[in-house]
Amino acid sequence: MSLPAAVAGQDRYKPPAGPTPRLPSGKVDFSGVWQKPYVPDLTKDGTDHKGVAELPFTPWGEADWKKYDAAEGDYTGACLPFGMTRSVNTPEPMQIVQSDKYFTFLFEQNSWFHVVPIDGRPHRKGEPTWFGDSVGHWEGDTLVIDTVNFNGRTRLDTVGHPHSDQLHLVQRFSRPDLGHITHEMIIEDPKTFTRPLKSTRTFTLRNDWEMMEYSCEENNKSLWEGRIKIPKRP
Amino acid sequence: MNIIKFTAGAALAAAISLPVHAHHSFAAEFDANKPVTLVGSVTKVEWQNPHIWVYLDVKDDQGHVQPWQCEGGAPNTLTRNGWSRDSLKYGEQVTIDGALAKDGSKTCNMRVVKLPDGRTVFAGSSGGDAPPKK
Repeated sequence: MSLPAAVAGQDRYKPPAGPTPRLPSGKVDFSGVWQKPYVPDLTKDGTDHKGVAELPFTPWGEADWKKYDAAEGDYTGACLPFGMTRSVNTPEPMQIVQSDKYFTFLFEQNSWFHVVPIDGRPHRKGEPTWFGDSVGHWEGDTLVIDTVNFNGRTRLDTVGHPHSDQLHLVQRFSRPDLGHITHEMIIEDPKTFTRPLKSTRTFTLRNDWEMMEYSCEENNKSLWEGRIKIPKRP
Repeated sequence: MNIIKFTAGAALAAAISLPVHAHHSFAAEFDANKPVTLVGSVTKVEWQNPHIWVYLDVKDDQGHVQPWQCEGGAPNTLTRNGWSRDSLKYGEQVTIDGALAKDGSKTCNMRVVKLPDGRTVFAGSSGGDAPPKK
C-alpha cells in the first residue's frame, strides 16, 4: 500500500520559481492549476489565509446568522452550486485558463466553471445566479474581477455565514512570481454587513497536479438516506 | 475484542495531510460532540464522489456483529494524499476514529484510520468546519 505516513504533508510544498508569466499582449497570465487554502470559516486565520476577524452584521445579517442551522438543510449537501466564495474556499484545486478576452475559473469542486469577460464589457442584465455575473478589468498588473447579481441562495463559507442578494464581490488577483497568486476578496453587502469585509489568501502553483472529475451527485447517499435534509426552496 | 468505544474526543494529532472537507457542512449530518472509535473488518469500500464510504462489521459489547458505514474524504483529495480504491481491502481489521451521525444510525464521519500494520492515516471528510458558537 502506498499510503503516506500520518505526518505526510507537513513538509511545505515548494512551487517552481521564476518571474511572473505574461501573455503575448503583456498582461499578467494567471493560468495554471492552483492549490488554495481551505477556508471553512472566513473569520479564522489559517495557512495562506488572513481571515475577517469580526463580522460587522446589520440587524438583518445578525438575525440570519443566529437562526442558521446547517442541519436544517445546507444547500451544498444537495449538490447545489456553492457560489463563488465557497468555491474559492474549498481545498480542491482550481485551474485558471486565461486569454486577453476571458478569465476562466475551473473549480474541481463539483466540476464547476465560471467564465469572466475581461475585455472591458459591462455587466450583463440577466436573471440572478448562484455564481453571479462577473466582469474583469486591469489596474496595472492586478486583475480586478467584479461580481454582482447573485441569487442570494448561497452562503459565504461552510459554517454558514450569510449574505444577501445585494452581495457585491470584488476579487483582486496579482501574481508576484511564477509560483504564487495573491488573492484579495472584498465582500460588500449592505443588507448583511455595515462595511465591506476583506479576506486575503495565497494560492500556490501545482504543476504536479492535474484536475480531476468531481461528480457530487454520483454517490450522495447522505442525502438519499435522509441524514442530510433537502434545503427549502425560496 | 472488537468493541465500540466512545472516546473523549481526542483526535490523533499526528494525522495531518492535505486538508479534506465535506461537500457540505459537517454539522448538516454529524455531531462533533459524539466522537466514536470503531474497530472492525472492512466489508466494502465505495470509491466515489462526493465521499468515499467504508463499510465494516463491528462487534458490539454483546459480541454481536453490527454493520457500520463511515464517510471519508473526496476520492480526489485522498488520491493526492496517496490513497487509492485498493488502500483498504475486504476483511482487513481497521480502527476508525470519527464522529457519529446525528440521526442515531450506525454511520460515522471518519477522521483517521489505523491500518493493520499500525500506521495511522488521515481519511477525513471534514476539518475545521464544526459549527461555531453563536
